[in-house]
Amino acid sequence: MSKGDRKRLSSEADDALPLKRVKKEDSDDATAISNNPYLAHLKQENDSANDYGLENLVENSALRGFTRRQSTAEQAAEAEDGDLNPFTGEPHSQQYFKILQTRRNLPVSKQRQEFLDMYHSTQILVFVGETGSGKTTQIPQYVVYDELPQLNKKLIACTQPRRVAAMSVAQRVADELDVKLGEEVGYSIRFEDRTSPKTVLKYMTDGMLLREAMHDHMMSRYSCIILDEAHERTLATDILMALLKQLANRRPDLKIIVMSATLDAQKFQKYFHDAPLLAVPGRTHPVQIYYTPEAEKDYVEGAIRTVLQIHATEDEGDILLFLTGEEEIEDTCRKISLEVDEMIREADCGPMRVYPLYGTLPPHQQQRIFDPAPGPLKKGGKPGRKCIVSTNIAETSLTIDGIVYVVDPGFSKQKIYNPRIRVESLLVSAISKASAQQRAGRAGRTKPGKCFRLYTEEAFKKELIEQTYPEILRSNLANTVLELKKLGVEDLVHFDLMDPPAPETMMRALEELNYLACLDDEGELTKLGELASEFPLDPSMAVMLISSPEFYCSNEMLSITALLSVPQVFVRPANKRREADEMKAMFKHPEGDHLTMLNVYHAFKGIQSRDGDAKKWCHEHYLSFRHLSSADNVRTQLKRIMETRGLELVSTPFEDKEYYSNIRRALVAGFFMQVAKKDGNGKIYRTMKDNNQAVMLHPSTVLTTDYDWVIYNEFVLTTKQYIRTVTGIRPEWLLEIAPVYYDAASWEGQPEVKRALKAAAERLKRRQAMRVSR
Amino acid sequence: MAGSEDEEDYMSMDFSNIRTASLPETSLQRKQRLKREAEVRGRPKPKAELEAEEAAAREQALSTSLLETAAKKSKGLSMMKKMGFVAGKPLGAEDNAGARAEPIKPSLKEDRGGIGLDLERKRRLDEEVEKEGLAWKKVKVVDAGEFRDRVRKGRERERCERLVYAAQKTAVQMEEERDTERRTALNTAATTVGNNEEEAGVGGTKEKQNKRTLSTKPLKSINVLWRGLVRKREEAERDRRMRYDLQQSLSRLPTYEDDNEDEDDKQALGKTKTAYLPVEDLEEEDPDLDEFSALEPDEQLRRLVEYLRKEYRYCFWCKYTYPDEEMDGCPGLTEEDHD
Repeated sequence: MSKGDRKRLSSEADDALPLKRVKKEDSDDATAISNNPYLAHLKQENDSANDYGLENLVENSALRGFTRRQSTAEQAAEAEDGDLNPFTGEPHSQQYFKILQTRRNLPVSKQRQEFLDMYHSTQILVFVGETGSGKTTQIPQYVVYDELPQLNKKLIACTQPRRVAAMSVAQRVADELDVKLGEEVGYSIRFEDRTSPKTVLKYMTDGMLLREAMHDHMMSRYSCIILDEAHERTLATDILMALLKQLANRRPDLKIIVMSATLDAQKFQKYFHDAPLLAVPGRTHPVQIYYTPEAEKDYVEGAIRTVLQIHATEDEGDILLFLTGEEEIEDTCRKISLEVDEMIREADCGPMRVYPLYGTLPPHQQQRIFDPAPGPLKKGGKPGRKCIVSTNIAETSLTIDGIVYVVDPGFSKQKIYNPRIRVESLLVSAISKASAQQRAGRAGRTKPGKCFRLYTEEAFKKELIEQTYPEILRSNLANTVLELKKLGVEDLVHFDLMDPPAPETMMRALEELNYLACLDDEGELTKLGELASEFPLDPSMAVMLISSPEFYCSNEMLSITALLSVPQVFVRPANKRREADEMKAMFKHPEGDHLTMLNVYHAFKGIQSRDGDAKKWCHEHYLSFRHLSSADNVRTQLKRIMETRGLELVSTPFEDKEYYSNIRRALVAGFFMQVAKKDGNGKIYRTMKDNNQAVMLHPSTVLTTDYDWVIYNEFVLTTKQYIRTVTGIRPEWLLEIAPVYYDAASWEGQPEVKRALKAAAERLKRRQAMRVSR
Repeated sequence: MAGSEDEEDYMSMDFSNIRTASLPETSLQRKQRLKREAEVRGRPKPKAELEAEEAAAREQALSTSLLETAAKKSKGLSMMKKMGFVAGKPLGAEDNAGARAEPIKPSLKEDRGGIGLDLERKRRLDEEVEKEGLAWKKVKVVDAGEFRDRVRKGRERERCERLVYAAQKTAVQMEEERDTERRTALNTAATTVGNNEEEAGVGGTKEKQNKRTLSTKPLKSINVLWRGLVRKREEAERDRRMRYDLQQSLSRLPTYEDDNEDEDDKQALGKTKTAYLPVEDLEEEDPDLDEFSALEPDEQLRRLVEYLRKEYRYCFWCKYTYPDEEMDGCPGLTEEDHD
């Protein structure tokens, strides 16, 4: 069908039934809402929308001639060019038209009609657009102009794997539509919701949509769901895809768009019953790829050498170097800066600014990567450049213009979970071929670029896997299984995931949930499990929080849980390790790291309540103000959930000698599966049951009291295996609090643990007998 | 050249060797040795070793499927079975061919080696092995236990070799003594002696004076059990003589034949015919001796001990020549019997 035909058809339809169809759907929704207990909020929204007089607004606005799901690109362009904003009724700003111009130049803009045609013809659409095509910002807007969400009261959702992306894209799109962020365009991420009843387009993390689906299995708030960055294959996106695949049959009115940045979209197509595919070329230039003649002995050294060589010999253009972690990146930045200084002194080299980039970097420092490269040192001198040393967040999610050279050593840090040793750990691993291509592509954003791979072509072909393993294959699924149960998925075994996990992983997850009493022996969700699924936390932490009132310390456990949900609050700069350690010692609690963190939090709140300069205080004490503040925020959110679920907020009086032991007991209630026992008299501990691994306490621990038994928060898998964030406990507590897991009679793990448990049981019995006789 | 033999032996021997070689280990020594060995065994393991053990344990755990071991009683598995799980089949939709049956194995990266480095190293090693034709294909991981074992075996072998030497010496001595006895017996029994007896008589007197010269017997006629010893002595003697001859003859080669010298002159200058006889002998191939030398030292020792018992009723371990065949009082054939 040609463009002209379509236009004629749709305009005819417009003339024939102006707005009638839309109104009809509207009333359908109203009945649906009144019947659906989950959708009370929508009903409210409905009323308020009427108050705003949105319907009148539409009738008078540029959207007047539109028919839902029949609009054309031409109509939309006309509406966009209008003087009045069709969503607010306000006149468009100057800024708006300026942005509109750049929007029209995006590659995706040329295919707007093609997109709409395909969108109208199918329920599920796979959209492939390389980075820079504009898909993340434009496609949702095209859908908004076509779906008329202001009228049918159904939102458009666009998911993002990362919180930062959801926030920044929402801001950008609000600007593009000339509306205020949080009104017509909003975002929703864990612990933060910036939407209003007016919201028509909502950017959200994939995890957030999943949480919403737990209460609204039909996802009835939405008329269109866009899964962006599906190629990243996050855990939540994978689950959402499986859910939406099921839901598509039950909700024929729901439109689904799966957007991917890589060309392996056939897999998505096949998965969604051969859904049609629309590909938009990215705006990229050719990238020349260079391999090393032989393997590198030290990839960091090789990377530094390569960066310096580029700087000395290559033409103008910025450099992007991929490394694996914070420490490695900071270290490399220092080394490169030092070398460049020398090159400037000795050879006639241009200046180079080096910026680190990683997830836990404060936002204002992340922002610096967008600073322009420095100019030449003197007039007519060699031009300067910038070098960004980044983790793989610069691989897809962040776009930096001006990059011409990419240095790729071929590694990234990846989460790996193995159910056989029950350890989830971040490990430096070789990237995939797809990842390597993605990295190379970053060099061709502004002009033809070069990518230097620090491995041989043979190694590329033979050693790298085709695709990075999706997260679902690399994660502990306890949380996911709990969510799926809450989502009403009964048959987990045949749940149609794109990449189903290994059976052993599923088995472990079910087993863990059973030990936590979240699932009964039949695999049904228990009351506790139901409650635990309400918390956006790992099941063990949720259970710990829910049971904390029994130990009279729910306030304290709230703080500890919040602290464990944010990155490490202790800062330890490489050049001030000693000072940082001295400061940390001030907060030290001899019985463990959890209690030490609690001390920090209390001190932090103390400063805040006395109106002290908390930021300065944090800086002086080598603490992260940002992470402490976000822990504070998380705590508020969790507290709200506790309150709405009727969980008591209590504390043991601080003077009570049981204050800290109550907290330690409450920790056991959640972490009893993460216990290690000292092996002999040495420094070696052993983890429990079939996960029988020799571990050492992480050097960062403050634990000084000699405990035979400890609980830990994290198992660090390296050549030396460490447990991090540990607190000492008593074996009697294990018997009292987790009697099923630590049943001495049926214990099949290490015999010495069994003996110790039996001894503890004896002590316990004796003490009880004494208490009775007294 | 009296006593040169003894000097030679003395120089070539380590002092401590003599003791262990000649004396069996006393119970006290043995106790101390065992204690030392136990200490080595009981010492706290070094970090590297512990790490290797951990890695091995981890490897073991990672390569064992839970479905075959721990899961028999797992409630997780029974839940899955209720949902229709069949062991050996992956999860997910029926037609999903790419579903995983096994979890992803984590690989620990311990250094900063680039991608492909391990592979390249391995390839280079293989190439070298091929080029040089080395027997070892893989560099074995050094295991402390194995190392100790190897050292211990090496020491035992050395000790055994020294014992073989001692036994050979004894055997030579015994043989010589018996020869002398026989000859004196012959001398006394029959007064008519052939021309060649003169030589033996000379030899006999020499032996009585505890002087040793080179044996005139052809090497091949000597019992293979100690032929090696004799051969070695002869080689040493030859070398010594050649050095001596060189010094004496100054510019002349030792094989130079001076027509002016008569037999007596030659005798006086030490240029006897016999002096060169062993040299030819030494250069000959000797498969018997090679065969014997190829035996393990403990086997050599066993044969020597047996021979001494049979021929001389002498027990190498008791250091005693028994008067009769029964060898009454000797606890047995082996060293252990004498402990």
